[in-house]
This record gives sequence, structure tokens and C-alpha cells, in this order.
Amino acid sequence: MKGNSVTSADIRTASGAGGVGSSPMPAKSAADRSMKPERRQRRSFKAALRIALPVLAGLLFVALWELKLFHSLFNLRTYQLPLPSAIAQAMADNRSLLASYTGYTLSEAVLGMLAGSAIGFIVALCATAWPRWGAGSLLIVASFNAVPIVALAPIMNLWFGDGIGSRIAIVTVATMAAMAVNAHKGMTMVDPLALDFMKSCAATKLEVFRYLRIPASLPYVFTALKINTTAGMIGAIVGEFFYSSRGLGYLLSNSIKVAKMPIGWSCITTAAIVGILFYLFMEFLERRLVKRHV
Amino acid sequence: MRGQRVLANSRLLSAALWIVGLFLLWELISWILLHVVHATLAQSKLPYLHEVLRAFGMNGQTLLKEGGVTFMNAGMGFLLGAAAGVLLAVLMSVSNWIEQLAFPYAVASQMIPILGLAPILYGIVRDEQIARILIAAYITFFPVSLNMLRGLRSVHPSAYELMRAHAAKPWEVYLKLKLPAALPGLFGGLKIAAPLAVTGAILVELMGAQHGIGVMMLRNLYYGPSHAYLFWCTVLLGALLGLLSYGLIGMAERLLTPWQPAFRRKGGER
Repeated sequence: MKGNSVTSADIRTASGAGGVGSSPMPAKSAADRSMKPERRQRRSFKAALRIALPVLAGLLFVALWELKLFHSLFNLRTYQLPLPSAIAQAMADNRSLLASYTGYTLSEAVLGMLAGSAIGFIVALCATAWPRWGAGSLLIVASFNAVPIVALAPIMNLWFGDGIGSRIAIVTVATMAAMAVNAHKGMTMVDPLALDFMKSCAATKLEVFRYLRIPASLPYVFTALKINTTAGMIGAIVGEFFYSSRGLGYLLSNSIKVAKMPIGWSCITTAAIVGILFYLFMEFLERRLVKRHV
Repeated sequence: MRGQRVLANSRLLSAALWIVGLFLLWELISWILLHVVHATLAQSKLPYLHEVLRAFGMNGQTLLKEGGVTFMNAGMGFLLGAAAGVLLAVLMSVSNWIEQLAFPYAVASQMIPILGLAPILYGIVRDEQIARILIAAYITFFPVSLNMLRGLRSVHPSAYELMRAHAAKPWEVYLKLKLPAALPGLFGGLKIAAPLAVTGAILVELMGAQHGIGVMMLRNLYYGPSHAYLFWCTVLLGALLGLLSYGLIGMAERLLTPWQPAFRRKGGER
């Protein structure tokens, strides 16, 4: 965890959304070994409770939902809020369709995210290399973050037609800013002593980047990538709400228009699962690639 | 002093130059599309910016009224969600049970495309006003609670010990130590959430509401090329609302947490 980044005043804190509690205690195993057996047992019981409690709560929630508690509370009909069993049924019935649409939406999200993150990283590089002009460009890029994605959808549709290109473009714009801001922070927050040392060794600008700034920015880059997994999925799905004929977002908005709520809910469930997997995959990559956690 | 003023000015100057440069570039590309490439619907794809601004001036009243509706609703939802998020964070920091219950869900919700819920929620509520407020609140809720919790936990142990040594009561520890320490985290969450709340409100409007900037956007899109300038006005206004929400939070942050390193004359962690 990057404890010192809590006081950041940028768009997203360096350890951004969802970065909390994501890093397990590395010293745990060593501590475990030195503990007495009964202590270890208590700890494992605690850990089991940690997992069991939310799972049980979730199951309870679903059970109450299935028993129509919420329907009686908020005076809802089952066609407004379908029961979990109906949603599961809809998911099972439309397995192949959901799978192919998930692939389509995910490819939009991934391609757009890669493009957006690459552009953002290049902007951060330029802003670090030429700070005088970079600050302004960073402000401009950061302001993209505040632009509602929805407004982009029709414009990108005009530019790129209603194929996959327009959604990739939407995701690209939506993921640029987080990467630019975070990578810039990582590149500029290097130890001044290290910079001085590089200077005293007559390192060129290129070498400073190659050996110091870019490695230092890696944790921040991954933070941005993790933020962008969610942003990318949202961009792709919201882009599909309008002018598209495939994808999870299309199926979602369409099934609601024709009042097939269970299918709509199954889209949301699928998107949630895919979003979580995508995020965890990024976290796995981070563990593999970033050795030193700052 | 003087050097710093020049530095700050140069930053503003560079931003201003960027804006002017982008404006010129926009006009140039727009001109190329229209007269060189002869693209179809050239003015819909990238209209002359000065024409858009003129259309903005002519329809300013309507635009501001509809934009106000969107912004007010998003703002109400935002405040509601932020209050609930702060409450949950405080509860999580007080009680281990609540934290173990809620925390995994809060983290998981960060990985879920929440905005996809907008049409579903609208389908359930069937009232645009409430749907807008609810979705904005829902989007705001999780980032705020998570970042607030991180802030509450960021308190230095030695500061605790000092409070304990002075026999501070639990509520005093909260009021004088934990809550101020949590403010930067809270604002981080608020900044993430504010533009998203505006996006959520606009999204609900696109699903078939009667009022708001999103409705205008759709209408002018359907009217076709003749309304291209007005359509772009709504897009720009949407972007401006997002920026405005972000800017307002940023200003509040400067007022309430002036001690943060980022606001120092010469930034730095130490």
C-alpha cells in the first residue's frame, strides 16, 4: 500500500479506486511460523470468519430477495425487479449469447484501455520531460476525466460509424486521463537524491527515464490500469447502450425496452463478474511484474 | 516569492496557450473536413467552434435551465451518496463486524460497471427525478466510503498514543484526530465521484426522461445535421457540468484542507 499517497490532491489518489485492502500482509507467513499452534488456529479461524461472514450475508440477501421481501417493502412487482431464480434461469437459457456478447464487449474494453493507457503514458512522459509545457497538457488531459462518457458516445459514433471502432474510441478517451495523471505522479515523485546521483554521473535525460523514472512509475501505472479496467468496461457498456447491435450493453438496454427484465439483470450480473475477473487479472499481473511495492 | 509567482503564472500561461492552441487546431480540422476532405456531415462531426459558441449564446436560456435540472439532481444524489458513504466508513472504522460485512462488497463494487445499472434502476423506479438522484447517490457511495475509510485508518499510531496519554475520550479522538486525518481521503473519493454522478444523471435522462441536458442532447441528435451546433452545445455543456462539479470539490478541498502537500507553494511529500 502506498500510504503516503493518501494526501494526493489529484483526480484519483495514487492508490485509486479499489486499491484498498488489495495487498495482503507479506510478513504474515513468517509470523505464522513463529506463532504457537493454538494462536495459529485462532488466526485461521479469524480468517475463515472474514470470508464466511460476507458470504453468509450475501446468501441471506439473495434469500430474502427470493422470498420477495424487497417487493413487499418497496411495493414492487416481479416484472420490475425479477427474482434471483429468474435471473439465473435467464443466464442459463442465454448462455451462448451472453458468452459471445461478453467477448465482444470485453474486446472493446481491452483494446480501448490499451490504447488509452498508452496515450496517457506518452502524455505523462512528455509532461515529465518538458515540465514547463507539460503541466498545461496534463491539465487538459485531466479535464477529459470530468467529461461524461455519455456525451462522447454520439460523437464517436459519427466519427467511426456504429462498429466496434466507436466504442474503442470511447474507452480510449475514458481511460487516458487516469493513466496520464498517475504515471506523471510516479515519474515526478522520485527521490531527489537519486536524481542528484544520476546528474552527478552525467546521465542523459534518456537514461534518467530509462533507469529511474519509468521503473519508479510502475506501481502508479498499475494503479491506473486497475482503475481503467472498470472505466473501460463502463465505457464499452455505456457506448453500447446507443447505436449498437451487439454486446452486453446493447442486450441490456434492449431487453429493458421490451420489458425482459431477467435478461437485463443477467447482463448486469455477467458484466459484474467479468469486471471483477478483469480487475483481478490486472492485480495478478502487478504482483508478477512489480517486485518492489512502494 | 517572485520566482514562485512567475512559476505559477507560467503554469497558467502554458495551460492558456494549450487552450488557445487546441481552439485553433479544432477550427483548422473543422475547416479541413468541410473544404478539403468534403466529408459527409462535416459540421456534425466537428463543427466550427465559434458557430457552436454562437448557438450557445442564442439558446443560452434553455441550455442553462436544462443543465441546471441535471446538475441539481446530480448534486442532490451526490450529497446523499456522500453522506451515506461517510456514515458507512465511520461505522466500518468503529465496528469490526460491520467492516468485515461491508468491506468486500465495497471493494467488489469498485470493479463492477455500476453505470450499467442506470437503465435497470429507471425501469424499477419509473420516476426520472428519483432515478437520477438514486443513481448519482449510488455511484457516489462506494468511492467515498472506501477513500474515507482509508483516510480514517491513515492516522499515525504515535498520534493515537498522544491522545491516549492525555486521556482523550473516544469521541474526542474522532473529532480532533481521525476525522481531520480522513478529510484528504474523503476528498479524493468525492473527486472521483463528482463527474461520475453527473454522468449517471445524464445517462438516466437518455433513457427517456422529460427534462435535463441529456434529453436535449438526444433531441438535437435526432433532428439531424440542421441541429448539429445545438447538439454540440449540449455535449460541451455536459462536459462543463462535469468539470464544474470537479472544480467545486477541488475548491472546497482547498478551503477545508489547506495543509495538504499538494497545495504548498513548492509541492513535495516532505
